[in-house]
Formats: sequence, C-alpha cells, structure tokens
Amino acid sequence: MSAVRLTIDGMSTEFSEWLRGRSDEQLRELVVLRPELITPVPAHVEGLAGRASSPSAIGRVLDRLDRFTFAVLETLTVLPSPIAYRSLRSQVSKSLQGPADPVFEARFRQTVDRLRTLALVYGPDRALVPAPGVREVLDSPAGLGPPAVEVFRHYHAERLAELVEDLGGSHSGSDSGSGGGKEELAGLLSDRQILARLVEEVSPQARSALDELAWGPAGGRVPNARREVRVANARSPIEQLLARALLAATGEESVVLPREVGLFLRDGRIHRDLTPLPPPLDGTARDRALVDRTAAGQAFTFTRAVEELCERWSADPPGVLRGGGLAVRDLKRAAALLDLPEWAAGLIVEVAHAAGLVAASGAVDGDWMPTPVYDAWKVRSTEDRWVTLASTWLTMDRVPGMIGERDERDRLRSALHPDLRRPAAPEVRAATLAMLATAGEAASPLAPTPEAVRERLAWEQPRRRVAQRDRLVDFTLREAEQIGVTGLGALSGHGRALLPADPGQDGASRTAPAAELLAPLLPEPLDHVLLQADLTAVAPGPLTGELSRWLALAADVESTGGATVYRFCEGSIRRALDAGQGADEMLAMLTRHSATPVPQPLSYLVTDVARRHGRMRVGSASAYVRCDDPSVLDEVMADRRATPLRLRRLAPTVIASKTSRATLVDSLRAMGYAPVAESLDGDVIVTQLDVRRTEGPPQLRVPAAFNGLDAEVVAAAVRAVRAGDAAHRSRRKPVDAPDGQVPRSPATATIGALREAIRQGTQVWIGYLDSQGNATSRILEPARMEGGYLTAYDETRAAVHRFALHRITGVAEVQA
Amino acid sequence: MADGPLIVQSDKTLLLEVDHDKADECRKAIAPFAELERAPEHVHTYRITPLALWNARAAGHDAEQVIDALIGYSRYPVPHALLVDIAETMARYGRLRLEKHPIHGLVLTSTDRAVLEEVLRSKKIQPLLGERLDGDAVAVHPSERGNIKQLLLKLGWPAEDLAGYVDGEHHPIALAEDGWELRTYQREAAEAFWHGGSGVVVLPCGAGKTIVGAAAMAQAKATTLILVTNTVSAHQWKQELIRRTSLTEDEIGEYTGTKKEIRPVTIATYQVMTTRRQGVYRHLELFDARDWGLIIYDEVHLLPAPIFRMTADLQARRRVGLTATLVREDGREGDVFSLIGPKRYDAPWKEMENQGWIAPADCVEVRVTLTDDERLAYAMADSEERYRFCATTPSKTRVTEALVRRHPDEQVLIIGQYIDQLDELGEHLGAPVIKGETKVKERERLFQAFRDKEIKVLVVSKVANFSIDLPEASVAVQVSGTFGSRQEEAQRLGRVLRPKSGGGGARFYSVVSRDTVDQEFAAHRQRFLAEQGYAYQIIDADDVLAGD
Repeated sequence: MSAVRLTIDGMSTEFSEWLRGRSDEQLRELVVLRPELITPVPAHVEGLAGRASSPSAIGRVLDRLDRFTFAVLETLTVLPSPIAYRSLRSQVSKSLQGPADPVFEARFRQTVDRLRTLALVYGPDRALVPAPGVREVLDSPAGLGPPAVEVFRHYHAERLAELVEDLGGSHSGSDSGSGGGKEELAGLLSDRQILARLVEEVSPQARSALDELAWGPAGGRVPNARREVRVANARSPIEQLLARALLAATGEESVVLPREVGLFLRDGRIHRDLTPLPPPLDGTARDRALVDRTAAGQAFTFTRAVEELCERWSADPPGVLRGGGLAVRDLKRAAALLDLPEWAAGLIVEVAHAAGLVAASGAVDGDWMPTPVYDAWKVRSTEDRWVTLASTWLTMDRVPGMIGERDERDRLRSALHPDLRRPAAPEVRAATLAMLATAGEAASPLAPTPEAVRERLAWEQPRRRVAQRDRLVDFTLREAEQIGVTGLGALSGHGRALLPADPGQDGASRTAPAAELLAPLLPEPLDHVLLQADLTAVAPGPLTGELSRWLALAADVESTGGATVYRFCEGSIRRALDAGQGADEMLAMLTRHSATPVPQPLSYLVTDVARRHGRMRVGSASAYVRCDDPSVLDEVMADRRATPLRLRRLAPTVIASKTSRATLVDSLRAMGYAPVAESLDGDVIVTQLDVRRTEGPPQLRVPAAFNGLDAEVVAAAVRAVRAGDAAHRSRRKPVDAPDGQVPRSPATATIGALREAIRQGTQVWIGYLDSQGNATSRILEPARMEGGYLTAYDETRAAVHRFALHRITGVAEVQA
Repeated sequence: MADGPLIVQSDKTLLLEVDHDKADECRKAIAPFAELERAPEHVHTYRITPLALWNARAAGHDAEQVIDALIGYSRYPVPHALLVDIAETMARYGRLRLEKHPIHGLVLTSTDRAVLEEVLRSKKIQPLLGERLDGDAVAVHPSERGNIKQLLLKLGWPAEDLAGYVDGEHHPIALAEDGWELRTYQREAAEAFWHGGSGVVVLPCGAGKTIVGAAAMAQAKATTLILVTNTVSAHQWKQELIRRTSLTEDEIGEYTGTKKEIRPVTIATYQVMTTRRQGVYRHLELFDARDWGLIIYDEVHLLPAPIFRMTADLQARRRVGLTATLVREDGREGDVFSLIGPKRYDAPWKEMENQGWIAPADCVEVRVTLTDDERLAYAMADSEERYRFCATTPSKTRVTEALVRRHPDEQVLIIGQYIDQLDELGEHLGAPVIKGETKVKERERLFQAFRDKEIKVLVVSKVANFSIDLPEASVAVQVSGTFGSRQEEAQRLGRVLRPKSGGGGARFYSVVSRDTVDQEFAAHRQRFLAEQGYAYQIIDADDVLAGD
C-alpha cells in the first residue's frame, strides 16, 4: 500500500510543479473553467493541485467535456503514460468513423490543449500524462474492464499458476515470487498472438459471449463465478473463458473482461465511432424577422397570461394544499381561464411563483395570492415584465413539466409543490438554449428537431444522466416556445440576449438589451376600440392600462389573441355601474375611446341599464335605530350631540348609522334615551370584494445558479494562490512590520483602499486588532474581500490569513 | 405585413378589419377555409372550424395555402400552435375515402390502415359496414352512405366521397332568359353547387334563391324534387319556374295536402312529407317515385327532423339546400352540412345591399313603455304567460297604428305571433288578416290584392314568414314573434328586402315592450341581423305617438 501512496505523492509533486510552471494567465483560465477549485481559495499551488486531483473536482469537470474530448482523455488513461502527442493521436485516429483528415488534426490539437488548460492532462507534448486522480475516476474508460493486474489481484497464487500454465506460460515465473503470478498472467494477456490463439480455441458460443462484452459494459453476471476450471475440463462457454483467463471473476456471481482482452477484441480501437465534431443539428431554417415576431407575440401573450392569472388570484385566491402546492382543480380552472392546455397553465403558475409574483399567504391553510412584488411588476413595461419572467424561468430549478405526473409513491405531482425541483434544470435549459444560439445563420436561425437537440446534448455532455436530461430538454423546448424565448422553434433575438454572452458577465448588465430588443417588436398599446352595433367592441391590439381595465369592467371578453373582442351586455354594464361608474361617464368613456361614433343600441343599452340601476338601493349601515314613534326619531335627528354618529333617516321610523351598534347604544344613552341593542338579524352587510395580498414580500429562494466568476475574483484568487505559494515555497522569513501606528482611517476609506490594492495587486500596511484585542500592524498583499473578510497574504506572518474587516483599524501605503 | 387587415385570435376566430385597404383581398384569401360568423360594420369575424378546413381540402386547397394566407395577412404573429393544429386537422381529411367498387358497390378505403382500424372499432360505425375486403377496404351498405359520412365526421376522420352521384332520369330543362338574366352571384352559386355535387347556398331573403334553384335544375337537366315549406310557397315556385325556365305547367307537379301529382318536376311540402298516419310516413315513397336527378330543399334551416333521416338515405342523389339564415335555434346546423352538404356559397347581406340586389333597410326598434297597470299585471303574470302578455299589450296596438299612419302611401305588412292581437290590429286598422285558418285561395287573393295595391295594409301571422313573394311591401311592423328566434327576425326583414321599383329603401319596425322579457327576446332576435351589419335604431314609442 505504501508503494501506491508514494507513487501518487510522486505524481502529485510532478503535477504541482507543472501547475506552478503555468503562467498566471493560464491559471486564471483554469479557475474560470473550473471555478470549484477556488471555493475556497487554496493556500498555495500544492493545495490547488490537490484540489484539482480530487475525485469530486475531476467528476465535475468531466461532466462538462464533450464526447470527443472525453474520448481523448479516456484513450490517454487506457494507454501507458507518459505518451507522446503523436502516439496518442494515432491511437485516437484509429477509433474514428471517418478518415483522419485536417479537421480531425485541428480538433485533436485543440482538444489536447484544452485538456491541458483544464489541468486534466499535463506535461509537454512529448510526454503527456493524465492528471493524478483522473485514472481513478475513470475506472471504466470507454467501457473497458480493469487491467489484468488488477482483476487477477484477488486470485490466489496456485490458481494464478494454473492459469499461467494453461495459457502456455513458463512454470519458472510463477515460482520466482509471490506477487509475480498476476504480473506474468498480465504479460501473457498483453501478447496479441497468445490472445489470438486463446480466442480461436473457444467455442462459437463463448466467442459470442466475448463479443457481447467487447464494447462494454465489460462486466457480466454468471452463477458461481469463482469456479476453478482448467482448460482440459472446461465445458460450458463461460468455463472455457474462465479457464483461459479471458474472463476474470470479480465476485461470487460477477465476471469482467480484462482490459487487455477487451482491447484485443476491439481490434486496436478504443472507441467504436468517434467523430471529431458534434453531429449536425437537423432542423428547419427560419426567417430571422419571422422568428422574432412570433416569439415577441408569444412573449406578449405569456406576460399577459401571467397578469391575467394574478388578477384572478387577487380576487379569488386558490388554497394551498396541506402538503404544499396547488390543487389539480385550481390548475384546471387556471387553464380554462387562460384558454391554455394544463401544462402551459402550470408553467405560468410556476414562473409567476418563482418570480415572486405569487406566494402562499400563510404556512397553514393559506391561499396562493399575488405579492406586493406583483404590484411593482404590474406597472412596468411589457418588455421589462417579460424579461423578469423569462430570466426567472431560465434560472429556476423548478420543473413545471412534471406537473400532473406521479411520483415514486404514486402521488400526483401538483403545481407549486416543493418536490417539483430538479437542480439540473437550469443547466439543461442553459445548455439547450446555448445550442440554439449557435444553430443556423444569423439571418436564418435554425429550429432544430427535439431529437437533434437531444442527440447533440448527449454528444456534448456524455457523462450526464440521459433519461432525465432528455425529458428536461423536451420541457425546455416546449416552454421556451410558450414563453417566447424561441419562435417557430428557433431562438429569438431577445431570447438570445437573455443568455450569458460569456461567463464573466453578470446578471444585471445582460437583461437590459433583451428588453430593448423586445420592445420594438411588441404591439404599441392602443387607446381606442372599434364599437359595433352588435354590442361588441374590438380592440385591434393591446390597450393602454386604463382603457383595458375599464373595458374588463364594463364588458365581457369574448376572444383574446392579438386583438381582444369584448361584448357589452346587461350584466357587464351593471357590473360597471356597481363599481361606481355613471351612465354619462361610461358614454363619455366610449365616445372618447371609440374610433367611430358610438352605435345607438350600445348607448341605449347603457342608459337602459343605468335607468333601472339603483332604483332599488342597498346600503351598508353598521347599526340602526328603530322606533315606532317618529317624533322620538325627529328629536334624535335634531339633537346636535348626534352629529358625530353620522345618522341617516331612512324612513320615518328608521335611522341608520355608520357607527357600531355599541357606540350608538352608548351615545343614545348619554343623550338620555333608553335604547336596547337588537340582534344582528336583518342587519344589512354588504361585503366588498377585497383585493388580497400576502403580508410582505416573499422569501425568495434564489436557486444557486452559477453564472461564472467575476474576472476580478478570478484574478484575485490566482494572485492569492501565487502569493501563498511564494510564501509556502520560499518559507521566507516574516517581514517586520514598520514601526509606529497605522493612522486610523474611516471604514469606507479602508474598504476602498483595500479594494484598490486587490485590483492593482499592491501591498498595504494595516492596523489590525487581533482576536485578543491586541493592536498589531501588518504588511498585507490583499487577494480578495467578501462576506466581511479580507483574504490576504500576510508578509509579517508569511502566511495567507483571513482578516475581519471590522477589526482593521486603518490602512496606509507601505513605505519603500 | 405588420399592418395587415387580419388578426388571428387564439380561439381560432379571425378578425378582419373591413376598412383596411387589403380587406377585400384578404377576405377572398380566407373565405375558402373560414366561416363568416359575424359581419357588423367595422370588424368581421370568421371562424376556422375543422369542417371549414375539410371543405377547403375538398375544394382543393392545402394546408400550406391556408397558413400562407394567415401569415401573409395577419397583423400580429400567428400562434404557432394554431398553425400546427390547422396542418394536422387538414391532414385528417382524405385518409378515408368512399369509393365505388365494380363488384362490391360502395366501399370505404383508406391510405392509412391505423385510421381504418380506429374507425372500424367504433361501435356506431360497425353496423353500417359490410364485409372487410382487404386490409385497406371495407364494404359499406349503400343506404348508409349518409350516416357513415356523418359518423366519420364526428370521429374526426372525414371521408372524401368519391362515389359520385346518380344522374337520375334525364329531363330537358333550360333557363328562359327573356327580358332578365341570371345575376352574377346567382350564377356563381349555382356553379359552386354543381361543382361540389351537393351543398347549401346561403343568400339573403329577396336575393332570388328560387332562381338559383332553377339554375341548378338547368345544370342538372334531370327530374327534380323540390321540397318547400307550404302550399303557397309551392305555388310560387311553380309560377316562378314556368316564368324562368323552359318548363311548362304540365311538367310541374304539386304534391301537397290537396293535390298529389308526380311529374318530372315535383314540388312537395315538408308538411305533407312528414304527415304520419298510423305511425307511418305515408308519403315517403315520393322520394323513390321517380329516379330524381336533383333534390332541392327550400328554406333548409327549417328542415324537419324526419326529413333529415330520409335525406340520409339519399346521399347518391344531388342535393341543394337554399336558405337565408343558417342559424337554427336547435343547433342542428352541423346536420344540415353533413346531410345536405357543405356550404357552397355565401354572400353577406350588406354586400348584396351595396350591390343593389336587395333593398337597403332601416331597422327600427320601437320601445313601448308599459302603463303602470300593465306593469303590475305583467309582474303578476305566470312565467309562461309573461311573454304573451308583454308582447300583446294594448300600448303596442296604439303604437302600431301610429306607425301605420306614418306611412300612408306605402304597402305595410304587420307581422305577429298571436292571433287575437292580430285580429284586434286588423279590426283597428281595417286591414285583412291572414292566419293559419285562412284558406289557400283566400290567401292568394289577398296577396294578389296587396300586390295590386288594392290593399295597403296586410296583417299576417307567422304562416307568412317564408317564401311569400310580396314585391312591393316596403314597410314591415313586427308586433310579436316566436320568442328569441333569430332566423325568424331575419326572414321577416326579408319580406321587405326585394328591390323596390322606385329604388327606395325599406323599413322594418319591431315594436317591443320596454323592461320586459319582450325586450330580452328582441335583443336576441336582433343578434343575427346585427351581426350581418344591420344596426337597429331605437326610438321611443312616445316620440312616435307625439309625432302623430
């Protein structure tokens, strides 16, 4: 065991030396591509090397490799190291589907460089070595089994000797050393001629078993795998293979094809059908303008649907299910309201929720209702509102597509349910849209088929789990179309603007152009409608806010789309009158906003309904006074002390009051009457429809979307590693802090100065209160600042430390 | 493109802005696959229905054309889902075909075996089918041709009917265009029908549907059975045919309650066809009495249910339906389309008016305020009596009289539902009343007198709703109607739409009691005409009485 550790250590040193030799630029590139290496920032290059060779870090970077790059790396781990660039290339070229043309040459060059940039491969071209840890993570490269040395390790010496003998090896070898048996066996299995003979010997059934395992997976299950058969008494096909060491037992019931055998069967190739370039995207080329227009139309519809849903939920919020989520019935109602299929309604509900526009009003027995965020969202321009929704969708980890499916326990997945999360969702969305962004020409973007997208993604990220990804891709394509990110299946201009242009850009700066691109494509809000004698009003486009709210009140919507058709009827006019509109006011509104004269039947309808409206009056009074003797009530009404009670004589024997019953009774008593309170029966209470809101803004759970690192952070991290490394290696002596006290500086100035020092990479002299409260003075090379702490190389202690910002008493320049 | 005249709505309605420069061009492009639903003054509404799409397919249009038309004229982006849906719907047509087989007669064949299997599994389809001939064909009982088409349509796999029509017994018929000629739209309508084989022609009242029927007969040149609503109408058809075609009186038979003639051209009433004696339709054999080459259904929107059933058996014969208003309060428009045939020709009323083929009409709703006593009585009336009560109030009688006095020199028709109200009106106005019990002879005498302007005012019950040729009636006053029937309103307006010799306009009054169910029904009744672009003007009865 110690020998193994030594090797790793040895390699690790070699690897970290190589890493140390990389330029700052190259290291920065590395941490940009593998940001997990600097969270947290390692103290020195050894630390960086250690982290870069940890299985989890390697696993993460492997997940991002495309099929070709991955295959090159696999090939490298299969072959003995170090290997020259030329040999590796010729081996990889054998696996190619086509000829090794210049496209392959260029791509191969680029791939090796990239692997090196990623620190998965190191060393010069003449001696390429996979980074430490890569072999361990890639335990089954290209579906090959482990090498013979490993698979036969658990075989006891006698058995190994038997196998060596049956393979025609010398007896002497097996006697010479205890561990020599498996080595000799491995040696025999590396001999192509011996292998050819062995494979020739076995029966056709055994041969087909081999062929089945040849291209992986290399493992299989057989009963009683450990049986010790010799070539002479082997009967079944499996026994024939076991006796010839063409199969190795790895457990009681499992066997594996040793790597040497696999390579032989693959006839020198390691991969079956390697292509240097991704499969072409099949699809239809679309007209740029048409795509943008279609997507913009959909963006408008989507935004409007969200608003419509929120408005409905304002007045009539659906309940929160006990387990969280929205009842199926409520989703169906939303779908009916929006005239959309249920999956699209689910998408709207989920996006509105993820954007913080709707939330549960309480933990228990709450309702889903709009939040104050919605009120702020509502008044913004359509394009801004859409950008909010679309970027929320891009980054949210919720998967609306799963609504209505059944989970493992056969329970229906409902919308807004906490379980509807898939951490991979934002990544798949980003990858899918990024692919659309590169599909086709600028003037004629391509609308790829879902199959092509899935195939391409599988090529680009071969290590990702496939079943879930395919579903997520399908959801993404469907939802992108619904939201208006894509139009006719191709990425729109405003949709493209939502995607990060490069990893360094932050969120705020990239949302602006999307809105700017979308705005001119959206229909201009109109301030007029066409009124017709059949009592309909047609709005040939979106209406201004005031008009559309008014029409929603005074007319029923008959059809929506690019235009809206409203129908006036008795009920709708009455509704408007109920909401406080007067007949004259309504007619004036109609006249003002009609492109044509108001048709007479419509004005008659309004005046007719208004004439009858309010002939019967219903009011709300919180208390009343009843008295059979009108003269007593005359008295009360005339009494000046009654003024604050806001009394109103409804009839000779009835007075209504706005005050509460208790107040009224008390006041009347104070005035010298002897009233008694009456039960609530007969009391008229008119409830108003309240527009409801949650208590406060929602606790937004921002998914941990990773949008790449800030260039400054990267530079700082690399500088910190370098600095730490310098300290680590030189073991240099701590520098004495200059004499005297660092002048005190205000906190803002301190932070400003430190930030400047980080940016410029200069040293500063600071005053610092240590944890015991002692004032110290240090020379620092600040690396980065976050969460109230400064990470810096401390020259005075010759180490990287973290400093609490609030304990830094002052900052000054270091005197030379 | 961005300012096209068309707006495509998500519910598959199309809004066409009439005043737009390209409106006419666009209308022509979308007419083959979208049904005109409403045609008020500014924005016309069309609807894309599966039936309309399939009709478009049958007429040789493909999905590409439909989608091009939508995208080309649309002001806003057309929802992608809608385009996909259109393509899918259109692709369903023609997977199944009804064909003539030399041995097996009528067969249902398919280019898509899965579809055939799907429809064969339908329990309703099975009894209509004979033996399975091979994987892609199955025999159909010839008598079930109509039924199977209807059912397949409901299943969403409309069959393309390639089995053709029987020519029927040849009989020479030609149009006698002496002193008149076929109007353009009449010719187009007849040709559209002939090209399609069978179907419905929708033309406004007064636009000369009888002549379209005559033109269709001249195309068919075969023995013809004409089904009309009543005896008077039958007489008018006969006279019109004698005048407009080469047919002589001897060649045209009447098959009505009084006469039972079967001639090369036979005109029968729906009533006689549906008369049952001892539970048996006695006159059904008329359909088989001759080898008819053409069957004409007049006023097809009134087609009674038994005729529907009979028609299902007549799918091999050419059929043409004529109507002004294909709105049925029973919602059976679909049955008309699948049994008679799809709509072959349609002309909006206002368009006909603009071209001068029908008289321009002012529609006026006169609102009568009930007196307090009447209000109280109305409030106390039983719910089933309420309409009758408010529709026949004495106030209405007064207003009607005033309206008649307003038009002293014009021919006025007063139309109502309730006989006692009509009798009262007749008495007050000194005008003859035509109602159900009036003998046919007497009716015709009165009509002739009215035509000759010997009688200025004529009071008619709903017997005169249809097909009565009253060329010079220029004013109609409707005092009551069959509840909220839209087509009745349209038909009644149709009474005054025939072009006037003086070229003047027509006036249609509808007297309505304010704040009662009468007003509600009136609003519903007016809907069809309002949607055709007839804007009702509302006046107050007091103004009428004051102006008196």
